[in-house]
Amino acid sequence: MSKHQPPYSPEQEEEEEEEDYMTMTFDDHPPTTTNPKTQLRSKCSTPSTSTTYETSLQRHRRLRREAEARARPKSNAELAAEADARREAALSRSLFETRPESKGLAMMARMGFRGGSLGRRGDAGVKVAPITIHPRLDRSGIGLESDRKRKLREAAAAADTATKRARADEGAYRDRLRREREEARWSRQLVAAQRVLEGLDSENQSLDPDLDHGGLEGEEEGTRKREAASRPLKSIPVVYRGLIRSRETTERDRRMRHDLEHGLAQVRWREGQLPGYDDADEDGDDKMALGKERAGGTAVYVTAEDLDEEDEELEAFEGLPVEERLEKVVGYLRGKYRYCFWCKFKYPDEGMEGCPGVTEEEHD
Amino acid sequence: MADSFKSLKRSSAEREASQDSKRVKTNGDSETKMGSKPNPYLAHLNDDAASPLDDLERHKTTAFQASKAEDSDNNPWTGHPHSQQYFKILKTRRDLPVHKQRQEFLDMYHSTQILVFVGETGSGKTTQIPQYVLYDELPHLTGKLIACTQPRRVAAMSVAQRVSDELDVKLGEEVGYSIRFENRTGPKTLLKYMTDGQLLREAMHDHDMSRYSCIILDEAHERTLATDILMALLKQIAERRKDLKIIVMSATLDAQKFQSYFFNAPLLAVPGRTHPVEIFYTPEPERDYVEAAVRTVLQIHASEPEGDVLLFLTGEEEIEDACRRISLEVDDMIRESDAGPMSVYPLYGTLPPHQQQRIFDKAPDAHRKGGRPGRKCIVATNIAETSLTIDGIVYVVDPGFGKQKIYNPRTRVESLLVSPISKASAQQRAGRAGRTRPGKCFRLYTEAAFKKELIEQTYPEILRSNLANTVLELKKLGVEDLVHFDLMDPPAPETMMRALEELNYLACLDDDGELTTLGGMASEFPLDPALAVMLISSPEFYCSNEILSITSLLSVPQIWVRPNNARKRADEMKQQFAHPDGDHLTLLNAYHAYKGAEQAGEDVKKWCHEHFLSFRHLSTADDVRSQLKRTMETHGIEFISTPFHDKDYYTNIRRALLAGFFMQVAMRESSNSKVYKTVKDDQLVMIHPGTVVTSPYDWVVYNEFVLTTKQYVRTVTNVRPEWLIEIAPNYYDVETFEKGEIKSALTRVTEKIRRRQAMKGGR
Repeated sequence: MSKHQPPYSPEQEEEEEEEDYMTMTFDDHPPTTTNPKTQLRSKCSTPSTSTTYETSLQRHRRLRREAEARARPKSNAELAAEADARREAALSRSLFETRPESKGLAMMARMGFRGGSLGRRGDAGVKVAPITIHPRLDRSGIGLESDRKRKLREAAAAADTATKRARADEGAYRDRLRREREEARWSRQLVAAQRVLEGLDSENQSLDPDLDHGGLEGEEEGTRKREAASRPLKSIPVVYRGLIRSRETTERDRRMRHDLEHGLAQVRWREGQLPGYDDADEDGDDKMALGKERAGGTAVYVTAEDLDEEDEELEAFEGLPVEERLEKVVGYLRGKYRYCFWCKFKYPDEGMEGCPGVTEEEHD
Repeated sequence: MADSFKSLKRSSAEREASQDSKRVKTNGDSETKMGSKPNPYLAHLNDDAASPLDDLERHKTTAFQASKAEDSDNNPWTGHPHSQQYFKILKTRRDLPVHKQRQEFLDMYHSTQILVFVGETGSGKTTQIPQYVLYDELPHLTGKLIACTQPRRVAAMSVAQRVSDELDVKLGEEVGYSIRFENRTGPKTLLKYMTDGQLLREAMHDHDMSRYSCIILDEAHERTLATDILMALLKQIAERRKDLKIIVMSATLDAQKFQSYFFNAPLLAVPGRTHPVEIFYTPEPERDYVEAAVRTVLQIHASEPEGDVLLFLTGEEEIEDACRRISLEVDDMIRESDAGPMSVYPLYGTLPPHQQQRIFDKAPDAHRKGGRPGRKCIVATNIAETSLTIDGIVYVVDPGFGKQKIYNPRTRVESLLVSPISKASAQQRAGRAGRTRPGKCFRLYTEAAFKKELIEQTYPEILRSNLANTVLELKKLGVEDLVHFDLMDPPAPETMMRALEELNYLACLDDDGELTTLGGMASEFPLDPALAVMLISSPEFYCSNEILSITSLLSVPQIWVRPNNARKRADEMKQQFAHPDGDHLTLLNAYHAYKGAEQAGEDVKKWCHEHFLSFRHLSTADDVRSQLKRTMETHGIEFISTPFHDKDYYTNIRRALLAGFFMQVAMRESSNSKVYKTVKDDQLVMIHPGTVVTSPYDWVVYNEFVLTTKQYVRTVTNVRPEWLIEIAPNYYDVETFEKGEIKSALTRVTEKIRRRQAMKGGR
C-alpha cells in the first residue's frame, strides 16, 4: 500500500488517502505497521500547517522505520495475541453487518427472510446469533473461573480504596512515613503486650480452679493455646481477643488448605459428602477409631465456635488507633496484674512502686 | 415367500403334540380378542393355513397374537424351523421392560399416526419396538418396509445383527442395514436399520418415502443433524401420506418438546432398568480437573466397595495421560496399602476396535484369595455417555467437560474445544452408574456451578454445523423455502447465509437459489459440496482417478498412525510418502503404495503396521472409493489420468483441488513468516504441525480450518495465485476484496496475467 505513495501528491488526494486509512485499519489492528505513518500523516495534514509536506528525508526515514517494523519477526506471544484479537473481532460482528452484499443474504431475502430467526414458528426465544466460542486454555474446573473473577474483582476494589487513602495525604509524605514507622512499631508492641497478657491470664486460670474452662487439658503443656481457643472467643477480654482471633483464623485456613491438598475424601467425609465405608453396624466407637467422627478436640482440630460470628465489641476496639489500643492493653496489664509492660516487671504492690509512669516516654 | 411357507407344513405337523399343551392354557382370553375370526387353535386341522401370520390383521394385531406367532416352531418370516438359540433369546427378550407394555404400545400405535416413545437405556426399545411394529405392519402383505434410523453407523450394524439373531433370520435378508458406503439389504428385506443420514439420502429420490409404511427415528434425543432434518421432513410428509406411521424414540424425559413439535403426539414411556444413583459435588471448584479426576478415582479405589469406575475426560491425549497416572498410582497403592488390582482402559473414537473391545473385559481378580477385590476403570470421552453401554459400572467420575465441534459462520472456523457439558449430559453420565446396581456419581464441580454454569441441553448438531451440505440436500429434497422450514431448533440465519453463499460460489445454486445441474449432481454424492464439486470437475484437470482417491482418503479418519511410543519412527515412515508440495499428494502417495503392496500380494495388514498406516481406515477408504466410483459412472463422469511420469501429473492434481476448495485458501502474511491469513476472512492461522510440506508457498489450499489451542489449517497443499484467478474467477474477483495485503497481491497477479496474455496476443 505504501509503495504507491507519491512523495508530493496534491492535497486532495492526500486527504482521500487519509480517509482510506482511517476506515481501513483503525479498529482492527492498531499496533501494526500502518500506524506510525497514519500518525505522521495526520500531523502533516492538519489544516493550520497546510504547507508542511513530508520532505524526502522524512519520507526516507519513515519508509525505513516501516520496513524495519515489518522485517522484525513477531514473537510467538505477539502473534498469538494478534490472532486472538483478530478472531474475537471477527466473531463479535454479525455477517449481516460485515457482508451485506452477500448473495446468500439476497437469496434468503427472496425466501422471505426479514431478520430475526429462521423456522416456521419464529419463536422469540430462539437464539439468532451463532453459538459463541470460548477457547479454554487450562484445566481449571467448572466454576473456578467465575470464582477467580469474583476474587480478582474484590481484590481490585480493595486495592483501589487503599491507593485512594494513600493518595489523600501524599502532601505530608515524610510525616506519613514517620507515622507509618511509628505505627508499625506500636503494632509490634501491641502484639507483644497482648501476648504477655495472654500468658498471664492462662497462668492465672490454671491456678484458679473456679474457672470453668481448661481444667483437664490444662495439664498438657502444648494445649495451652488450643485451650484458649476452645472456649468462646467472647469470654476473652477484648483487649487481646483480636490476637487469638487472628491466630485461629490463620490456623483454620491452613488446615483447610492442607485438607484440600492432601485428602480430598477426608474433607468430603467431614463435610458429610462422601460416605466412604458408611457401615450401618458401626457405632460411635468404631467411627472414632476410624477417625470418622470428631473426637472431642483431641485428634481433630476444633475452631472456636464463634469464630465466624460478628463481634461488635471487638470491632469497636480494633477500630481505635494502634496507639490507643496499646495504651488500653498496658493499662489493663497494670490494673489486673500490676505488670508494667515498659519495665517488664510484675510489681508485688498495688502502688507499683519503682515504675516511672504509664507511658513509654516516662521510661526513657 | 409363499413357497417357503409351504415347505414348513410338514414340520409343523410333527410338532403338533407339543403345541397342544400350550394352547389349552391360553385359549380363554384369546377368544375374546379374536372375535369372529377363524379360531387359530384349530389351525392344525386345516392343512392350508400354514403360517402363524395368517390370522393377523394389519393394524389390528394384539400382543398375544404376536407372541403366539413368535412361539411357533417355524419362523413365520422365513418358514424355516426356529433354532434352539432363537427360543433362548426369546426368553431373555420377554424379560425386557418394554415387553410388559407391548399391548399398550400396540393400542397406542393403532390409534395415532405419530407416536413419541420414551424408553430409558436398557429398556430394549431399539431392538424390540421395530419387531413389535413388524408383527403389526406385516410388510410381506403390503410390500412396504419398516425403517429404523440410528445416529451411528456402528449402532445400525450391530443392532441389525442382533435383531436378525432375535428373529432367527440371516442378516441382509429379512433384516438388513444400510449405512453410507455400505448397503446390506436384499429383495426380501422387511425391516431395515439405517443411519439417519442414509434415510435422508433415500428421501432425495423418493420425496414421500413411499417405500416405507413405518419410520422409526431412534435416539432422537441425540439431535443429530440428519435426525433434525428428518423430523422436519416427516412432519411435512405425514400430512401428505396419512398411511405413514412415525415413531420418535428418545431416551430422555424431555419428550415434551418432541410431543409439541409433532402436533401433540401421544407419548408412551417405558421405565428403564436403572437403579438410583447418588450424586456428590465438590465443596470448592477444582483447579485442575484432570488432577482432581485422577485423585477421585484413586480415592474410590481405596475406599469404596467393589464396582467398576467410569471416568469422563475430553480427548485422546488427556485420556492416555490420565490412564498412565492412574495405573502408576494404583501400583503404589498395591505396594503400600494392599489395595486391590485395577485395570485401566482408555476409550475414544479413534482407538482401534480391538482395543475398544477391551473395555468389556472382566475386572481383574483379587491378588490372592480373600484379598481386596479388583476393579476396572474406563477412561472415556463422551462416546460412553450414550452410544456404548458398559455393564458393571457403579461409580462415575464426571469433571463436567466434553469436546464439542462448533462451526462459526463468521470466520468459517470449526472449533474443537473443551467446553462444559449440559445438565442433560451430566444427568446422562450419572445414569451410567446405575446400570447394574445402585451407584454413585462424583461431579468435580460444586452444586452451585452445576445450577449456574451448565446449560440445560446440549446444542443440537444443527446449531453447531456448517450447513452447506444440508442446504444442498434440502434443495434436492424439494424444500424451496429454507427460511421457514419448520425445524425443531432453527439454526442461526448467518449460518444459512454462509451456506447459500458458498453453494453459489461453487455453482451448485444459481443467484436465485435454484439448484443448478452441477448442484443436482453434487447432491448425488454423499460428500460435502466442495468435495463433490472437486470430484465432478476433476476430468477437466486430467486427474479424476487421483482426485477420486484423494476424496476417499479425505472422507475417512486420519490414515496416519502415530503411537506415543514410536512417534519418531512413525514420522520417518510418513516421510517416505511425503510429497514436498502437499499433504493431499502425500495421502495419495501412501494410498498408491498401499495398493501396490496389495497387488504385490503382500500381507497388507502387516505392511500397514510396518508403515504406521491405519489398515482399517485405508480399507474403508478403498470401499468409499469404489462406491464413489459407481456414482461417478452413473453420472458419466470420465476417468482420466495422465501417465505418472508426466511432468504435470502433480500440478494437475493441485489445480484440481482448487476447483472445490478455492474458498479454503490462505496467504502467507509476510515472507518467512509462519503465519498465514485466510482469504476473505482475514484470520491468522498456522499450518498444522502434522504437515509434510517443508517449504510452503505463499499460497496454500487447506482441507480444514480448526481452532484447538490455536487456529490451524490442516492438510495443506501449495498452490499458485494465478490458478486461483483462473479457476475461480468469481470468488477471486479483486473488486470484491477488502483493501489489504491479499487484495494487493491479487492485483499484482492479475496484472501479471494480463501482461502475459497481451504479450501472447501481440505475437
